[in-house]
Amino acid sequence: MTILLVLETAILLVLAVLVAGLLRGYAAVLRRLHELDGGALPAPVGAGPPFRTAAGVVGPAQSIEGRDEWAESHDIDGVSLRGETVSIRTVGVPQDTVIAFLSATCEGCTGFWQELADRAWAVPPGSRLVVVTRDPAQESPSVLEQLCPPDIDLIMSSQAWADFAVPGSPYLVVADGRTGRVKGEGSGASFTQVGGLLQQSVSDAGHPAVVKSDSDRRRARDVDRLLLAAGIGPNDSSLHRPDPAEERR
Amino acid sequence: MTAGKYLTAHGLRVGLASAWEGRIYRRAVGPAAATAAHPHAAGWAGEASHPVLHLANFALPANRGDYGTGAVERMAAGHVFLALLEFGPDCLGTALYAPRGLPRIKPGEFDPNGMQRRVAGQAGYQRFCTVAARPFCLYVVIGSHRSALSSTRLANDMIDRIEVLR
Repeated sequence: MTILLVLETAILLVLAVLVAGLLRGYAAVLRRLHELDGGALPAPVGAGPPFRTAAGVVGPAQSIEGRDEWAESHDIDGVSLRGETVSIRTVGVPQDTVIAFLSATCEGCTGFWQELADRAWAVPPGSRLVVVTRDPAQESPSVLEQLCPPDIDLIMSSQAWADFAVPGSPYLVVADGRTGRVKGEGSGASFTQVGGLLQQSVSDAGHPAVVKSDSDRRRARDVDRLLLAAGIGPNDSSLHRPDPAEERR
Repeated sequence: MTAGKYLTAHGLRVGLASAWEGRIYRRAVGPAAATAAHPHAAGWAGEASHPVLHLANFALPANRGDYGTGAVERMAAGHVFLALLEFGPDCLGTALYAPRGLPRIKPGEFDPNGMQRRVAGQAGYQRFCTVAARPFCLYVVIGSHRSALSSTRLANDMIDRIEVLR
């Protein structure tokens, strides 16, 4: 009986070694096939959307339209009005961050400060509001203290202005916490004005009239692929000729 | 100031793990601290303030008490709030602060009664210690007592990242 058990164990061990060897060989073959197939390396962090033209079609020489919409978001490091050294996350977090770049001396910011003081605007649900001014040396902390209610997160950080390439104040940026990308930015006269547009874009994105069905998306992709294979790119003049039927009328 | 993912101020330095944010401050005291916005910020006569470090894996609000009041109410399961508060030199050498180095927490040490103020589902932990000849209180709150095991791992990982400088 003992001999049988030992024999059976030995056979099982041999079989296990054989299976492991086979699996390893299979993995090597798959890897090699992937390489031969031009297997793409993972996209580097911060790279734009994947874009590859069909054989024979010249790729776009310059930036891809809409690439700017994929700008990277950045965490915010700075100092609060209470002298705290602060590091705020906008990347890799579940919530979106509405970043309001304001200044104590900017005339266009008055509407934003007023709405903050009056509690006249609420940040969209699931989002967080952070007001960012330039460094204390370039701002007036005492004036900011009068303008900004104490429960509003205000961070003084010129680095954040540089990171987000803020052209001037007032300027609003919405950072998508999950993707680590900027999903909206712009200027306006007040939170209500800009917030209305933000809310509209959020609502539109999920609206059934905007959301295409899978079959529609597949069909659109197929048509794009066929056109590209025929050498017809997005701006090809043949796509923008007037409809002959329209011309006859 | 912060550099990269490090937060450094008042002789405290911490490497922030992914999704964690932090703040280091020293509360202003004296007549100059009282403003229209913070009329009771002056503290009491002769009070000396000491550095406080707050770390959290959720969005920390602007208004928080030293022990996280205002922040812990926003915590959900999986969230961890960590406060490291320095005390005055008069505490040095006392029995309460005798343990050397920052403690490592065991999951069973979290206690719903260990909170400064009880919040349903949450649990707290508080220990006193001395690091680099500076007396400290470590106060940690977890969003859900049920997930104490995973939250303890997160808390210990952050505690390991804290450096106390002389």
